[in-house]
Amino acid sequence: MIRLENVTKVYKGDVTALRGVNLEIQRGEFVFLVGQSGSGKSTFIRLLNREEVADSGKILLAGKDLGSLRSWSVPALRRNIGCIFQDYKLLEKKTVQENVAFALEVIGQPRPVIRKNVPAILDLVGLTQKADRFPDELSGGEQQRVSIARAFANRPTVMLADEPTGNLDPATSVGIMKLLDLINRRGTTVVMATHDRSIVNSMQRRVIELDRGVVVRDDSHGIYDEPNGVYE
Amino acid sequence: MYRIWYYFREAFASIWRNLSLTLAAIFTVAISLALVGSSLLVREGAERATAQFQEGVEFIVFMNADATGEQDGAIRDVLENSPAIEDYAYVNQEQAYEEFSTLFSDKPDLVNSVSPAVMPPSYRIVPTDPSAANVTELARQFANQPGVKEVATATEAIRQIDDFSTRVSQALLIAAVVLVVVSALLILNTVFTAIGARRQEIEVMKLVGATNWFIRIPFMLEGTIHGLIGAALAIPALFVVDNKVLAFFQESDAVPLFRGFAVPDGFVWDTSIWLLLIGGAVGMIGSAIAVTRYLDV
Ligand SMILES: Nc1ncnc2c1ncn2[C@@H]1O[C@H](COP(=O)(O)OP(=O)(O)O)[C@@H](O)[C@H]1O
Ligand SMILES: [Mg+2]
Repeated sequence: MIRLENVTKVYKGDVTALRGVNLEIQRGEFVFLVGQSGSGKSTFIRLLNREEVADSGKILLAGKDLGSLRSWSVPALRRNIGCIFQDYKLLEKKTVQENVAFALEVIGQPRPVIRKNVPAILDLVGLTQKADRFPDELSGGEQQRVSIARAFANRPTVMLADEPTGNLDPATSVGIMKLLDLINRRGTTVVMATHDRSIVNSMQRRVIELDRGVVVRDDSHGIYDEPNGVYE
Repeated sequence: MYRIWYYFREAFASIWRNLSLTLAAIFTVAISLALVGSSLLVREGAERATAQFQEGVEFIVFMNADATGEQDGAIRDVLENSPAIEDYAYVNQEQAYEEFSTLFSDKPDLVNSVSPAVMPPSYRIVPTDPSAANVTELARQFANQPGVKEVATATEAIRQIDDFSTRVSQALLIAAVVLVVVSALLILNTVFTAIGARRQEIEVMKLVGATNWFIRIPFMLEGTIHGLIGAALAIPALFVVDNKVLAFFQESDAVPLFRGFAVPDGFVWDTSIWLLLIGGAVGMIGSAIAVTRYLDV
């Protein structure tokens, strides 16, 4: 599904955010990306999403080589990828269902498809009752559910999450993780950057740890604090 | 189909949101295109006014409407016998009126304002030697004959009209070009503001995979609509210029040829179509620049 071969990303000002990353993620996997702030997690996510382009190495996603992808075929790639963030990125002037419908509308989905899909997705994320509310009338957890609904509206095969629970309390975070788990069980590959120790430990999924842009650990059923020494 | 509705809905929502900037842009387009159009009208008027000088006609002797047969005969005698005259054509009042009414067949008001009785009869004259010096000398001789109202030489009349129309149409055109550039900049700025107001939406659109053109088109449509509405407002102004300003010259007696200083409605409509095309193009170019510079898609 996703393969990185010797990927290096250097930002302007000579900051090497990722250095020689090699890894492969299978279809349907749930992967945590952990590491301290500044270790390159967001950069990893942005490379998969093609918000950034690698300086060297090769990234394959759903059979596409992102390095040689033309800018006009980026939209097609993104339609296959759902993205959620710490800050939700909801449109304040649109209601919950309008936010979700918007994502389908702007990729040219016909009206009947939108009318049929939006309620189904709101039901999935448990927001049917709040369909006509505006984002500022919702709790943080609810807002993140809306953003998940929007990301999932087009049934992407990959879901990228950059610290989705970063602004949420532990109880609310558990709810969000259950939802991502549900989406993953429906067949979507999930890559989630986080430094939330308890979430990683409770889920018992694959953990990839980055340290200053280098992969220092890759456990198939990992916890957050596995000592590095074991894998040296 | 649905998508087209989306583009228009977004474009008009944006226009509504930025109404004051939009109005500024639209009025600037309207004023600049009204000037472009006026410049074209003056030019066309000049061409028509000088149309009588064709096929070698170098000067025209206008007779007084009440010239006696004797006076007329004397002139005709010279024209028939002088070796300096190669050819001539007599245009009587009826014919002059006829010509005038065909030239302005779509302007019944103008045609009704004259009658054969007020049209001066004239001789259109082809001299043997068309050099300017010779024509001037001949014109002077004819001007001194009894019964002659006025002599218009091609060089002088055309120079007069050309001078006038070139000066007027160039001044208009320079002002118009400056204003067209200003309106393109205003449209660019309006679209830029519209893009700023929708930054978050644009970010989400890119994120979920909207195509570049899907994001761009509403903004370009917005700019094009500015240009088209501005042009549409300039069209009535064009008819005002045609009916009031050019009519002023037609009625003035300063130069007889100014009587021909009118353009048919068909030409005004053609010019209007040009204005719409120019307006649409200016709007599209202005917004295209805004979109490529600030949208970054
Ligand atoms: N757009 C950017 N321009 C320059 N440097 C950046 C940019 N984004 C991130 N960086 C740098 O790259 C490194 C990795 O950042 P990031 O991928 O955001 O890490 P994380 O998400 O793990 O905190 C950091 O040193 C950061 O300062
Ligand atoms: Mg980050």
